[in-house]
Amino acid sequence: MLNFALRRMAWMAVMLVGLLAITFSISHIAPGDPAALAAGPDATREMVERIRFEHGLDRPLPVQFALYLGNILQGNWGTSINTRHAVWDDLVLFFPATFELVVFSILIAVGIGIPLGVLAAVRQNTWLDHSIRLVTVGGVALPMFWLGLMLQLALALHFGWFPLGGRMDMMTEPVAPITHLLLVDTLLHGEFAIFVECLHHIVLPAAALSIPALASIIRVNRAEMLETLNQDYVVNAMAQGLSLFRIVAIYALRNAMLPTMAMIGLRFGWMLGGTVLVETVFDWPGIGLYAVESAINSDFEPIMGSTIVLGFFFMLTNLFIDIVYALLDPRVREQI
Amino acid sequence: MTLTRSLVLGLGALAVVAGTMITDAEAFERRGDQKILVVASRQKVPILDPSIKYDASIRTMQQALYDGLLKYTGTPPEYVPWLAERWDVSDDGLTYTFHLVKNAKFHNGDPVTAEAVRWSYARTLELGQGPAWMLNAVLKAENIKAIDDHTVSMTLDRAYAPFLSFVPWWYIMNPAQVMANEVDGDMGQKWLIENEAGSGPFRLKRIEHGNLLELERVQDYWRGFKGPLGGVIYRLIRESSAQRAALQKGEADIVTGLTPDEFEAVSKTPGMVTSTAPALTAFGLKFNTKAEYTSDINLRKAIAWAYDYDAFVKIFNGRARLQTSPFTDDIKGKITVPGMPHKDLAKAKEFLAKSQWPDGGIEIEYVYVQGFEVERQMGLVLIDALKPLNISVSMIPLTWANMVARGSTQESSPQLMAIFATPVSTDPDAVASQYHKSSWGRYYGTHYYDNKEVHDLIEKARYLSNWEERRPIYEEIQMRLVEDQPEIFGMMRERMIVFRDWVKGFEYSPVRMTSELDLYPLYIE
Amino acid sequence: MTESALQRDLPTTDPTWAERNHAALRTLRLYVRTLFRNASAVLGLGLVLLFLAIAAVGPWIIPYPEDAAGAVHMDRKLQPPSAEHWFGTDEVGNDVFSRVVLGTRLTLQIALIVTGVAILIGVPLGMIAGYVGGAVQEVIMRVTDIFLGVPGLILAIAIVGALGPGIANAMLALSLVWWPGYVRLVQAKTLSLKNEIYVDAARSMGAGPMRIVFVHLLPNCTSPIVVKASMDMGMAILGAASLGFLGLGAQPPEPEWGAMISIARNYLPDWWWYSFFPGLAIFITVMGFNLLGDGLRDILDPQHRE
Repeated sequence: MLNFALRRMAWMAVMLVGLLAITFSISHIAPGDPAALAAGPDATREMVERIRFEHGLDRPLPVQFALYLGNILQGNWGTSINTRHAVWDDLVLFFPATFELVVFSILIAVGIGIPLGVLAAVRQNTWLDHSIRLVTVGGVALPMFWLGLMLQLALALHFGWFPLGGRMDMMTEPVAPITHLLLVDTLLHGEFAIFVECLHHIVLPAAALSIPALASIIRVNRAEMLETLNQDYVVNAMAQGLSLFRIVAIYALRNAMLPTMAMIGLRFGWMLGGTVLVETVFDWPGIGLYAVESAINSDFEPIMGSTIVLGFFFMLTNLFIDIVYALLDPRVREQI
Repeated sequence: MTLTRSLVLGLGALAVVAGTMITDAEAFERRGDQKILVVASRQKVPILDPSIKYDASIRTMQQALYDGLLKYTGTPPEYVPWLAERWDVSDDGLTYTFHLVKNAKFHNGDPVTAEAVRWSYARTLELGQGPAWMLNAVLKAENIKAIDDHTVSMTLDRAYAPFLSFVPWWYIMNPAQVMANEVDGDMGQKWLIENEAGSGPFRLKRIEHGNLLELERVQDYWRGFKGPLGGVIYRLIRESSAQRAALQKGEADIVTGLTPDEFEAVSKTPGMVTSTAPALTAFGLKFNTKAEYTSDINLRKAIAWAYDYDAFVKIFNGRARLQTSPFTDDIKGKITVPGMPHKDLAKAKEFLAKSQWPDGGIEIEYVYVQGFEVERQMGLVLIDALKPLNISVSMIPLTWANMVARGSTQESSPQLMAIFATPVSTDPDAVASQYHKSSWGRYYGTHYYDNKEVHDLIEKARYLSNWEERRPIYEEIQMRLVEDQPEIFGMMRERMIVFRDWVKGFEYSPVRMTSELDLYPLYIE
Repeated sequence: MTESALQRDLPTTDPTWAERNHAALRTLRLYVRTLFRNASAVLGLGLVLLFLAIAAVGPWIIPYPEDAAGAVHMDRKLQPPSAEHWFGTDEVGNDVFSRVVLGTRLTLQIALIVTGVAILIGVPLGMIAGYVGGAVQEVIMRVTDIFLGVPGLILAIAIVGALGPGIANAMLALSLVWWPGYVRLVQAKTLSLKNEIYVDAARSMGAGPMRIVFVHLLPNCTSPIVVKASMDMGMAILGAASLGFLGLGAQPPEPEWGAMISIARNYLPDWWWYSFFPGLAIFITVMGFNLLGDGLRDILDPQHRE
């Protein structure tokens, strides 16, 4: 098992270098002079030349890539042209908001998705099953940004039940950061009022972000549950008078967990992409919003930085899921 | 079924969270017993340094954190004594001597001295960015002298009538504080991005990146205040509709940058006060007179005569007036120029026939500010208007920074660019100088307009001191500009600022940019 | 799955057309029957056909054709839905219905190009990886894994950010992040097919690698490719609309749904119809392709056939 985990981690390191190769190549397909881009619009010719020399942009490509890797490893991720901030500092600042939103959303998707999947399977072909199916079919086809806007329109603007955006009210003094996750920090400080306020802010963006994932999770879970429930041994167990609840909990759900986990891993990547949209709709100060604003500004290094961070985060999640998977299912360990 | 029940319970709990939070905050925000004014704006404040950059949002902040020697107020705008309680000008018009107030203090308690003024001007001139262009042609750092603690003199290279009209935009920093935070000889540039060293009515309390800035009022400000206020929150709200919702819920007290349609809707709501004063700002579509196609005067005229000018006014729901001269209405010496283009398709086709592309068949670029709704709509109007000439338009939204970068060279400057330009004063030179060669490459000089005679006229009028001699020259300039059509002269829009009726003391000056606010006089009753 | 291929490889003598294609016809009939037993697949097919029909005749059925290219009628701006303007009008008085209908063409074009380019890149790579094996396979699959390891939309934004906003660049970016899925799919399929008896037989009869790939392997990969392509059409539409919404895709006045919503959100909540209808169009179209893809999988994938 340890062997598997180590091999998997080594592979992840390779993937990471690959990811950096991708971001490096993208910066080189960009039209225009990278030195001029890095120097910004007001730069003089000497400043551009100095940057070209300092960044080694006059050296051969492999050397440049090596320099790039070195810089990334040292936390030197460049500077935003627009704000003149160090990209690394910005990413550190904005990442917790994205992390909180994504994790909260995946918890919602799993927490609601699995019970609904079970429910649909147990009550197969009833009205309940059909209405849940409607959700799963529609859910994956909903454009996340539009769903977000419509939720805003109805629940925030029309009924006024939820705030329009942001992580907390502007008048609230933020609590001293411990984990930088507001929902966790407020609890650690015992600030329940602020905790509820943050919860209140996260509901709409998390709903928009989790509904497509929710739909897929229900779907996979239902299909796997059905397969198990139709197995002979389960039918026998039922005939022997075992309660439905025990059958579901003991056999079916456990069997359905592995494919569901795989789906969660897959959807997690989608969600990371989706944060870009949801954060834009809800003014959520995370990496997604940062990436979009940078892309609109053609502010290069922040875009690449965001790509690396979100890509790394996704790889890490997949690593985690693979290891859990391997723990649950010994056959997987032979692979990779 | 237990599963169903727990599901219902879960959803119920969510609903409770939602329900308990219904708050209809129909009032201003408070911190302790202090009232806080919330400004909701769509424009970020990326940088605070007064030597480096200014735009509407940045200057709103700089004006609150820093003081200048003079300050603009009122309609028509005039500069009034501020850190300088009075000033003298030498008979040859070269030396200006400013006498500073004695009680002004920087936020850290240091007195505002003549040396601080000298240092701040020298810093801006040396860094050569932001407002440096206004004075660097006539003022050298070594010619600024601190005569004593409260007297500073500046000697110009030559007489320059508009000199004082620029002084309000140069802010005074505390050299001791800035230099204490210098890194690698950067004159504190890194530190001043998000710190301040000013003497203004507010001090910076906190910055939440990409979200808000909070300012705290300096309660013992040397100039005093009219009414009570604890501080200001400058909040970034990226969408016009969200701004409006915040205003209606009382989460924002004053809002700039609403779309005209939002503005119409919100101004009908009770409890809202609107400010719709006309401004010095002109909106025009600048041609690049050196670019392909638009270097042809006949083509420029064809486009100008095809444009639908009424649409300008309709986009603003009537809150705009068409220009009758390259100079906006409040500029001194403005005349109504005969022969200003209006929509006349026959005439447009006549000019097109005289151009090198008598049948059209060309595409021109129209560059505008990304997310700036009215400019986008003007682009749509342009597309529609040029269809009969068989000229197509490609609309290119860019952020302001990138737009400025594109306009900065003759080669990259697009054929048409949407520009709101606010002259820094009512002196005609403030507008005329936009067509002077020294403006080339600045955002209001993306036309690369090159007419030696007009250029000489501008130079001549600038350095004359007798108005009766200057006036006919400016008349001539206005007519020549219309003749050469370096831009589609557009309209003057009204300012569209909305605030709640508990906000008092609002002061407006047409010299401020479209969404710029002067926070100093504001208070909450 | 290999049924039709077997028929082709073991020809009988001089059959009639119906006899020659007997098996294919029987399969087709089975497909159609399966499809029509599946209500959601029929719905999907219906929606997709409707979408295609609207895309085909769009320019001739819209009430205000001049509005599609961006006209300006300020005197009728922001009117609510009515008999003249079913979906209302936008901020410069264009008929939203006309623009949504015309958007189908642009959307179809985007979906076809993105999916098409992804197939053109992904399928050959997957085929090569599966057929050649060894180090080549290792390299191709590892690169594919790396691309799959980055959230697609993020990578697309990075590419558009580098190339500059615009519909062409958005399509290019989406194509560049879409191909890895096809490599995985085709490689797995090729791997499992290449040792099948009939492929061995063809090889022993002297068929070159090109012939084996094109005649024996590729046709057997079509079903999963078709299923995935149908699903991907929907996802590509979502992707392009997302980029349009962020201001990185299609630019005004192109009638692209996502770009329309990105403008329209400024007009919420009072002028809700402006963002509501384009979004609904995206939703219905994507759902159509998804349902059809699901249905096709049920038919074409024997493991799922009951």
